[in-house]
Amino acid sequence: MTFTRRALAAATAMTLVALSAGASLSGEALDRIMGNKMLKVATDANWAPQSFLNENNEMDGFDVDVARELAKRMGADVEFVTPAWDIITAGNWNGRWDVSVGSMTPTKERSNVLDFPVVYYYTPAAAAVHRDSGAVSLGDLNGKVVGATTASVFELYLQKDLTIDAEGVPSFEYQIDPGELRSYKDSTAVMDDLRLGDGVRLDGMVGSLPALLNAIENNYPIKILGEPVFYEPLAIAIDKGDAEFNDKIAGIVADMQADGTLTALSEKWYGIDYTSTR
Amino acid sequence: MLYADTVTSGPLVHKSGTIIVLMVVVATLLFTLFNLTGTIFGELMRPVIGEPAESGLYGRFATGLVVAILFVLNIVLIGFLKFQFQVIIVWLQLLVLFLAFFYGFDLDFNFIRSKVWFMVSQGVFTTLYVSAISIALASVLAIVGAVAKLSSNGFAYAIASFYTSFFRGLPLLMQVYLIYLGLPQLGYVINAVPAGILALTLCYGAYMTEIFRAGIQSIPKGQWEASRSLGFKFGLTMRRIILPQSLPLIIPPTGNQFIAMLKDSSLVSVIGVWELMFLARTLGNKTFQHMEMLITAALIYWALSMCLELAQGRIERHFRTKSH
Repeated sequence: MTFTRRALAAATAMTLVALSAGASLSGEALDRIMGNKMLKVATDANWAPQSFLNENNEMDGFDVDVARELAKRMGADVEFVTPAWDIITAGNWNGRWDVSVGSMTPTKERSNVLDFPVVYYYTPAAAAVHRDSGAVSLGDLNGKVVGATTASVFELYLQKDLTIDAEGVPSFEYQIDPGELRSYKDSTAVMDDLRLGDGVRLDGMVGSLPALLNAIENNYPIKILGEPVFYEPLAIAIDKGDAEFNDKIAGIVADMQADGTLTALSEKWYGIDYTSTR
Repeated sequence: MLYADTVTSGPLVHKSGTIIVLMVVVATLLFTLFNLTGTIFGELMRPVIGEPAESGLYGRFATGLVVAILFVLNIVLIGFLKFQFQVIIVWLQLLVLFLAFFYGFDLDFNFIRSKVWFMVSQGVFTTLYVSAISIALASVLAIVGAVAKLSSNGFAYAIASFYTSFFRGLPLLMQVYLIYLGLPQLGYVINAVPAGILALTLCYGAYMTEIFRAGIQSIPKGQWEASRSLGFKFGLTMRRIILPQSLPLIIPPTGNQFIAMLKDSSLVSVIGVWELMFLARTLGNKTFQHMEMLITAALIYWALSMCLELAQGRIERHFRTKSH
């Protein structure tokens, strides 16, 4: 029975490797960053004005500026990687990148796989409809076809499954009861379907107010419906289990908040100070 | 040509007037139904029908009739030409139609001009090297897989058939995710580009295994027997007898795989590889000019595929003359 014994040993070895890979050691990420003098940041490249490719084909935007500042204050260079959003939120980064400065909402589900050192700003989430729509209040979207980015807080809100677990966030109610919820790859895709006309593919959508305002500025035929549905705290995220790195980021962002850097960046990109709720 | 034929017959449209009249009637009906008064044709008909938008059914019909007559006339005239010229002219006409269709989107050409070089230098470059490496590795995998699938060794056959079954049975996008997210669970953290190449290699290797197997199997048994009676070993038989004969059969479908791979490499954009598709989606994002970028990328993909088609044609011709 050598064969089975050897197979058993191999299986055990593989399981051990798998287990050890899952648990990350404390301080590991911080050591790696300080050792390489390189902060690897995961961002979305399709999320203007937070992060996008500018005229010179380089990453630019509010999140990108925050990440650059963060790296500068850590004394490291910055490098951006752009995996799909669901890959970032899935956690288990395995050191592929160190931190996500990507306007991520710290939901309960996400906190199972990620740590959120600090909330760095808040954006209002709002509903939008086509310009020709007769809807006047959020309730008018009840029973209609509403779109949102897949795996986003907006989708969770529409599914009535959104738990925001952060301090200083005003409470909210579910004011929309969509008849059908359509999920899209990114917010641009949602807006592209909404722009086709009132009710052509979508009757409405829920998205982040800055992104919607940016679209309206670029002549998208959509309008904001009613008041913001909730305030979304947006956090920096890191892989689970590195307390030192966690504290380091929290400390740096607190400094950036205190000396007005964060407010200045918010005003640069949004024209509004979103770093506190109202 | 399906087969060389000595019986020739003139084009259908030159045989009888009835067919031409019938075609004009059908085309007129269709074009009237589509309502071309809002297009450039309506503008050109302005002297006859007045203001296109207010010309009503008469305007629709008159425009439809004129366009239909032009359309049929075009077909009849092309019928007089030689085969090569027919091909060239129809190609050009379809191309102009397509470009006019894209042109109708009211695109910002300055924006395209400012981005197209980056799309080529970063996007096309990445797309090409990812596909080229993948197809090369897939070919190697395919030969090994095909030999294993044809072998009488149960172990080799089982592995090869499990491999082809599994990797042909899963969507490529899922394989990309599984490799990128799954391998780290086993302790090996793979980067985005190698993960993409690995997924493409494994998937296309599986398809090409079947192509190679079919090619090898198509060689009659007598060839094997003859080479064995000459004292050839397996490797030599394969290299000198079997593969040279099966290549003409293997190459057309393999060329197809090349072209398909070029486009399927766009799936690795989900793990953040900055290839053509990724740039097409992101470059126009800030200013909402993604239609411009998508169309540019579409044309680039098409141009690349055409180059591959030409190359495939050449290789096919080369092997055909060699073996026949």
